Amino acid sequence: MNKVSKLVSTCAVLTLLSGAAYAAELGAVDEPIKLAINEWTGQQITTRIAGQMLQAAGYKVEYVTAGYQNMWQAVSEGQIDAALEVWGSNVTEQYKQLNKEGKVEDLGELGLVAREGFAYPAHVAELCPGLPKWEALKDCASVFATAETLPEGRLVDYPGEWGTPGADRIKALGLPFKAIPAGSEGALAAEFKASVERKKPLVAVFWQPHWAIAAYDLKFVELPEGKQECFDDPAYGPNKDATGDCDFIPTRVFKAAWPGLKEKWPAAYEILKGLKLSTEEQQPLMGAVDVDGKSAEDVTQTWIEANSAAWKPVVEAATK
Amino acid sequence: MKRPTPAVWAALTAVLVGAACITLSPYFHWVTSWPAGATLPVTSWIGTGLTAAFELLKPLARTISTLLSYPMMFANTVLVNSPYSLTIGILTALGWYLGGIRLTLLVVSGLGFVLFSGYWIASMNTLALVFVSVPFALLVGFAVGLLANEFKSINRVVETTLDVMQTVPTFAYLTPLLLLFGFGPVVGLIASIIYAAPPMARNVMLGLQRVEPEIKEAAIMNGATRVQQLFLIEVPSAVRQIMVGVNQTIMAALSMVIIAAVIGGFNDIGWEVLLTMRKAAFGQSLVAGLVIVIFAILADRMSGALAQSEVRYSWRIALAVVLVSVALATVERSLLPGPDSYSAFKGLAAAADSYLNAFTAANGLVLDAVKNGAMFFVLLPLKIGLGQAVLPFTWGFMWTKWMSAAVYAVFGVVAVVMALRGSAVLGLSLLIVSGVMIVGIANLPWPFMLVSLGALGWVAGGPKLAAFAVTMIMAILLMGLWEPALLSLYLCTAAVSVCVVLGGLIGLVSSVSPATWSVVRPVCDFFQTIPLFVFLIPVLMFFQIGEFSAFLAICAYAIVPMVRYTYHGLTSTPEELLEAAVASGASDWQVMREVRIPYSLPTILLGLNQTVLYAFSMLVIAALIGTTDLGQQIYLALGQGDVGLGVAAGAAMAILALVADRLVQAFAMKQRQALGL
Repeated sequence: MNKVSKLVSTCAVLTLLSGAAYAAELGAVDEPIKLAINEWTGQQITTRIAGQMLQAAGYKVEYVTAGYQNMWQAVSEGQIDAALEVWGSNVTEQYKQLNKEGKVEDLGELGLVAREGFAYPAHVAELCPGLPKWEALKDCASVFATAETLPEGRLVDYPGEWGTPGADRIKALGLPFKAIPAGSEGALAAEFKASVERKKPLVAVFWQPHWAIAAYDLKFVELPEGKQECFDDPAYGPNKDATGDCDFIPTRVFKAAWPGLKEKWPAAYEILKGLKLSTEEQQPLMGAVDVDGKSAEDVTQTWIEANSAAWKPVVEAATK
Repeated sequence: MKRPTPAVWAALTAVLVGAACITLSPYFHWVTSWPAGATLPVTSWIGTGLTAAFELLKPLARTISTLLSYPMMFANTVLVNSPYSLTIGILTALGWYLGGIRLTLLVVSGLGFVLFSGYWIASMNTLALVFVSVPFALLVGFAVGLLANEFKSINRVVETTLDVMQTVPTFAYLTPLLLLFGFGPVVGLIASIIYAAPPMARNVMLGLQRVEPEIKEAAIMNGATRVQQLFLIEVPSAVRQIMVGVNQTIMAALSMVIIAAVIGGFNDIGWEVLLTMRKAAFGQSLVAGLVIVIFAILADRMSGALAQSEVRYSWRIALAVVLVSVALATVERSLLPGPDSYSAFKGLAAAADSYLNAFTAANGLVLDAVKNGAMFFVLLPLKIGLGQAVLPFTWGFMWTKWMSAAVYAVFGVVAVVMALRGSAVLGLSLLIVSGVMIVGIANLPWPFMLVSLGALGWVAGGPKLAAFAVTMIMAILLMGLWEPALLSLYLCTAAVSVCVVLGGLIGLVSSVSPATWSVVRPVCDFFQTIPLFVFLIPVLMFFQIGEFSAFLAICAYAIVPMVRYTYHGLTSTPEELLEAAVASGASDWQVMREVRIPYSLPTILLGLNQTVLYAFSMLVIAALIGTTDLGQQIYLALGQGDVGLGVAAGAAMAILALVADRLVQAFAMKQRQALGL
């Protein structure tokens, strides 16, 4: 521990003693706090909102573009100070490892209610009339069949590195389908796009909030409700011999930070910990960026100006 | 009848082992799939070993990283903060000075596109990376090439190293690089140097090798020291070949921009491509991709003009252009819009998108027919063999054991007949090919692969090559990556065959028709430098996730070196040779067949080498479409931060490419010796 941070923490203690409850020192205000900007719009919106909250508290903020899969080493070394929208469903093993070793800190849930499931464009319901009930997929398998999967239906799964939730569920539910892993998010989006243009059948593992949900009018198949019991107890769900024969358990979306953040910028740590953003708040902003073509900077700035009631209290609690 | 040659024995052994495998495979499972128990935990060894080594090397690596970040930051600050009118002005002036009005127009229109696309700041970040990585790569490549030329004994080692640098996909060592060098654009820079240096080294080696012996002797007789010989005589006379290297290095460095973006660290044009690709926004990603292409073309043409032509244009005009741009730059902030406020191509991008949508909707049936045709009748039989691919649903009948037996019988008889007529090798090879067609590449039993590749190596290059091939394949088996490796082999075999035939033809036509070349050349530049991520979207929309899409993506990339090197080889025949041939009354076609093609064979073979290596390197990008081969393993490793699996899968890929390349090269060498070239 260096002298400066010792001094800072001493100051923090003194402040506490002097009676200003729960607020933290600002810390190294001259050094920018580096926030990770990842590849998807929702994350960029979350991050820019957080950044402007930090700026309102008197911090400098630097946005660092970072590959979602590759950034954890950097977060553990303080080359990136915080990543503000991490999805439990596709976070890498490396994060779990570093988190266990105490090299990356979990800052708690963001507040997004994420949903994953088997999604299909609305027109597909006409081709397979039983939808959205999952049992319908049993009879419609041939509708979804393609050259590679015949006679089984084709389900487009997540990219391999995110796991194989589609293949697992097909097996557990006994659906006559074959899971084809998509190579990337772009590949999934292109599949939906082509399906809508050509009015072809398609069912794929997908998630929301995502811009494609609105753009391609995607619906989720109603699978048996996803609960923890389903993954522990084979008796739960339609298949009495298998676990995992149900929908996804809602994904935890959380914030993560370099463990040194708390000491270097104590108030910023409190602000980021208090940061909350709901699906209802984020979704229209995503639409403004991805559908209307505005920049994430402009959209979030407008939001910050119009919604001070939503974020001011967090900043004030941390700094006053 | 003559005594059987070694080639006959080799072919016969392969046939017998193959037959044994086919008969035994229904009874012994281990014949077709390597027993899991015999797999060594190599990936975890590599993982632990490397992690330990990294802890040691980390301080050094971080120092290098810091050192490299200075030129990088400097270039970045200068380029991003300079007023755009000044940057455009200086480059335009340079264009004029080097290449006159044509190059000036190219520079102005190219940079104009970049500015109006709204990607100016992002592309300046990219340019900073390239400005730093290209000189380093050229320097490294040149030095390696020279050393290999001076010390023949290290020649093979150098060539293998270069192959490894080009074939182990960057994504495979991305996690290790990040661990070592820390986060940020410097990792992209290092990856880019590793990838872009080999073409330079290769071309320097080839160029120096081909300097006429008389020229070398003349230098020695004049009493030049070795250094003088090298730099005053040999390097200048090899400059044409070396410039091919410079060109290829620049192209390779620009194609790595996208990898730098995958890591992130700064907001460059590759990042924009990734973002738009994620949204499947084809039009916008095309615009961003075109920016990279424009830089590649400008860098290529300017370096070309610098090296190849002695003509320089009036510096006064150049100065005037610079002065005008300085004047503009002083008022830019107050009068002209900021570099981010342009977005002239939004409409164009949207039009491209809706055209793509309409095209997909309108031609769905045709596209499906093309895809299904190619899958059912070419790719699937190649992959899983006629035995499994021929189904009533696709071919109209079911393949039975009796059909296999009939095919084997027919080809067996053919082999015997041909053996009696003195061409036993060809007959036996046909029998082997028929076997592969029935079984399929993805189902080839490993004992057969080991024996037949060993035998091939023996015939082509003697015991050394045979041992090399066998050990390398054993390594893949032991790492437990046999199945994905066979899938990779199948995809690459399909793609390389198409590229060689098609690319060779295009190169041939271009070499006789300058008009064709003037079209083909920018197309080659385009395909080699545009991030192929851009094309994944339309390919996916047309043909969906699957192997056909992956196959097309690989072809698009790997065909370029074949075209380029064929063209370059055919057009660089010395004038004297051509004149002599014409004087002795040879027709155009005879000149081509008797003089140009034989003379250019070494260059064309280099092209074949590059095509094989490119095809393998493209497997990783193709994995973004959704494949199940080694490329996908590398993504899995990247996702899990698994250093061991990443490096092992990368190594397996490099091994396949190396073995394929060595065998091809050895056979080509034999052929050349047989032809007396």
